[in-house]
Amino acid sequence: MHDKREFSWYVIFLWIGLFSVGLVAIYSATQGPVSQFLPAHIQGNFTRQVIWIAISIVVLISFQFVSPRAFQGLSYLFYAVCLILAVVTVFVGIEVGGGRRWLNIFGFRLQISEFLKLATVLAVANYLTHRRNLSANNLKTALVTVLIILVPAVVIIMQNDTGTALVLLVLIPVVLFWSGLPYDLSLFIVSPAIIGYFSIIDIKLGLIAALFIAVAIFLLQKQVWLTTTSIVVGLVVVLGFEVGLQHILQPHQRARIEAFVNPSLDPQGAGWNVLQAKTAIGSGGLQGKGFMEGTQTQLRFLPEQWTDFIFCVIGEEFGFIGSSIVLLLFALLLLRLLKMAAHHKHPFAQLVFIGVIFIYFAHFVVNVGSATALLPIMGVPLPFVSYGGSAFLANTMMLAICLNLYYNKRSFSIYR
Amino acid sequence: MAGRRNKDKVQVSFRVLQGIILVGFFIMFARIFHLQILDYETYSPLSMQNSLRMEVVNPARGLILDRHGTIIAENQPIYSITITPAKFRMENLSKLATFLQMDEQIVLNRIQLAQNYSWHRTSRLFTEVPFEVFSDIQENLWQLPGIGHQIESKRHYPAGVNASHVLGYLREASREDLLRFDHLRMGDRLGKSGLESVYDDYLRGESGTQYVRVNAFGQALDSYGTGDLNIEPTKGADLITTLDADLQALAETLMENKRGGLVAIDPQTGGILSMVSAPQYDLSKLAGRMDLDYWRSLNSDPNTPLYNRAISSRQPPGSTFKPFMGLVGLHIGLITPELQIYNPGAYYRGRAYRDLADPGNYDLERAIAKSSNTYFFWMMDRIASRGNLNTWASLISDFGMGPLNNIDLPFERTGIIPDSTYMNRTFGERRWSIGDLMSLGVGQGMVSVSPLQMAVAVSVLANGGYRVQPHLVSAVKEPNGDIKYVSPVLHKIDWLKPEYMETVNSGMKQALLEGGSRYFGYIPGIEIAGKTGTAQNPHGENHGWFIAFAPADDPQIAVAVLAENSGFGSVSATPIASLLIEQYLTGETTRPHIYDHVINFQPRIRTVVQTEEED
Repeated sequence: MHDKREFSWYVIFLWIGLFSVGLVAIYSATQGPVSQFLPAHIQGNFTRQVIWIAISIVVLISFQFVSPRAFQGLSYLFYAVCLILAVVTVFVGIEVGGGRRWLNIFGFRLQISEFLKLATVLAVANYLTHRRNLSANNLKTALVTVLIILVPAVVIIMQNDTGTALVLLVLIPVVLFWSGLPYDLSLFIVSPAIIGYFSIIDIKLGLIAALFIAVAIFLLQKQVWLTTTSIVVGLVVVLGFEVGLQHILQPHQRARIEAFVNPSLDPQGAGWNVLQAKTAIGSGGLQGKGFMEGTQTQLRFLPEQWTDFIFCVIGEEFGFIGSSIVLLLFALLLLRLLKMAAHHKHPFAQLVFIGVIFIYFAHFVVNVGSATALLPIMGVPLPFVSYGGSAFLANTMMLAICLNLYYNKRSFSIYR
Repeated sequence: MAGRRNKDKVQVSFRVLQGIILVGFFIMFARIFHLQILDYETYSPLSMQNSLRMEVVNPARGLILDRHGTIIAENQPIYSITITPAKFRMENLSKLATFLQMDEQIVLNRIQLAQNYSWHRTSRLFTEVPFEVFSDIQENLWQLPGIGHQIESKRHYPAGVNASHVLGYLREASREDLLRFDHLRMGDRLGKSGLESVYDDYLRGESGTQYVRVNAFGQALDSYGTGDLNIEPTKGADLITTLDADLQALAETLMENKRGGLVAIDPQTGGILSMVSAPQYDLSKLAGRMDLDYWRSLNSDPNTPLYNRAISSRQPPGSTFKPFMGLVGLHIGLITPELQIYNPGAYYRGRAYRDLADPGNYDLERAIAKSSNTYFFWMMDRIASRGNLNTWASLISDFGMGPLNNIDLPFERTGIIPDSTYMNRTFGERRWSIGDLMSLGVGQGMVSVSPLQMAVAVSVLANGGYRVQPHLVSAVKEPNGDIKYVSPVLHKIDWLKPEYMETVNSGMKQALLEGGSRYFGYIPGIEIAGKTGTAQNPHGENHGWFIAFAPADDPQIAVAVLAENSGFGSVSATPIASLLIEQYLTGETTRPHIYDHVINFQPRIRTVVQTEEED
């Protein structure tokens, strides 16, 4: 029995590959010639990241000795603790740049929201473990699920971290879909995001998207009432974005969105980051400018280049080859995790896998999308690559739990 | 059954999620391919522009040297603050004004000027700011996007030679200049008078460019790459002038607090040894950032200091005209060296023309030495009554009196040597008579010349009959070491015979030994040939003239001095010329009593009526 257990070294190698690329990029972004323009505490980021990786390795190993059932058993408690700490953070956290996101615990500055993502994944997985086959007629389970995810998202928004909250919200359609929500309904609940995205770019594109989704919903299940609802909701979303952009958003938020749609309108102002990020990546070409040779990076044209814009550093200094490697590492990791989820028999483990995969995936899409101007700049880190101790630890913990669950998949199944 | 369906559903869900992830990665992959491979040509130059800034490097303006290689005009560093209006943020205005230690309104005015010139080109905001202000701004550039700094240079005059009217001043290019010349940028200076103006093309040099790496805050970091892209500025060419720095310095001192002009010239080449127009102005106050109060005072001064009297004034030459009258008379056969004319104390022709010389018989030599008027009235009477006025005018013009001499300075003016055309124009056709011409014979009336013209004319006497081309620059020294020499043209005046010249010159030598200029003119050991003159001035005190060359038998210097409103030339102009000749030939002045006389000499200037020369 025991010899049938398999530890996924493949995943470990991809993980090592990603954080190694991250270390190289962080080194260039903080220790290169650019360091003369950076405050001292930023220059220490590289060393701190190494320490956090070391801690994370220890955590990853020790997690492998934990009983898989412990993760399920302790999930609500963990969720509650993290949620309370997150609320505490809103009031007594360390204030940096207009938001309180860090909490000082035993001398460590922790970003609770990162752990809250893990806690939410575990809690949702636990809640949904025995409630499969969701349907449109049984919306109570779905509503509770939404609530479990929505509450931490709201707390994170109160920390002024919209990007992370958005990533968390991605869990809603994914776990509901995995738990058996009908396809048409699943598409319906993600439709506002898709229609909204196109509405920002152009109101006509928004309308076309709304129409396509309505047609798709009809074709999937032939539910007339849902199709009708989706058309109505689609129109409301298009109009809502139109009105919201003009009247509800704060000027700086509106500027950010306008900068995304047309950065050259205000190249020195709101469009600055978008243009500089695109320029950095584009000017990298095929091979890149070389390690610590990127002019955009080293001359401080990129904001937050050790976290949110780390992909630009890689793109500029290592070119298309470098950024493709990062994409490939991520793709292989996520697809492997997905395959592991499919091979797992236990619904809790499957849900944890799916949650973790899509947390990573959302981070990846939003981060790279921001850096390449496909999405408005939302400021989320690239998992395992960006500088950030809490994020790295939390992301590693998610991976460690997945590895544990997979390693113990047979014994775990017995206690189903 | 249910389990099986469930398993199928998991498989489908798995495929859907796998599809979503694959599509997501494909989109991202396509995006980076688009940016990095397809649009590389767009973004690569963008990042270059971002991190590189092209800066104009101003060339060093050429130096101006005297004939011995002494530097009389050089460059001194000054510090400038520049602005690129498009990049400047108006909310930084008060911060900028604080750094500049200036009034906000003044700064705003300058910024608007720069905006009017160009939003995207870099203009000088303020030049010649104090070094502390400069370094203050340099350190805080990152707070002031669009603001830059620049080290430039201004003229400095190290040899104690001002030579205001010779060297001239530089001024910031005007709007018209900027439109006319493509090489100029706002704030560039160009020569507006004197040699700085005439030789601006040589002195200016060519500006270079350098590429510096800048960061996102616009701070310049270092030169880009190996500097292959940089174009070094080409230094301006140096001017080697014919001036003698020591002589010029003395001449300037002697002309202080006076009005008039003087020209000292090498009679063999036409090279100007010294040129002063008084009142002079202080070039150093016009170098760098212009002292506006000083500039206004220069422009409103009734003594018109900006006006170059040495080459532009028109005054009757008085008795200094007599040697030339003598030469013309000899040539047209009116007189011979031996001819004697009796002076009874006045010449009578319709009325009495007074003669201050002692009564008695005068030949040409004595008439020049003693400055008898009768002799020359007699000549002019015959020239006029025989209808030879135009011949006379043309012969006089051959000496360089009247026409332009084309010196390498701006604003030179012709004199007046009246011929029949001129008389007709002035008085009306046939409305003039001999009475209007008589006084021309003694250099009074309508005949008028500048000190430069007199210097050229006296050079003819000194060099044996050659009309020289007066010039200030003898060579242009290119930055690569090549020297281009200006070859002066000597033009032989064919009708001048050596024996005529001998008679006239010995009269001028006599003038210094026994004439009125003896006391102030005589230099022990140096024989001078000279002639004083006093131009009658209907508006005020008479103007004093003196022309001379020395040594008389081997002339190396010729001088013409005009001292306005100073009465007799022998008292006002002669001592100045004498001191200059002594200085040039011996390297020193040994007669402090004469020096003090000149320094303390008070001309009687009545400024109110002096408006006619300003046209």
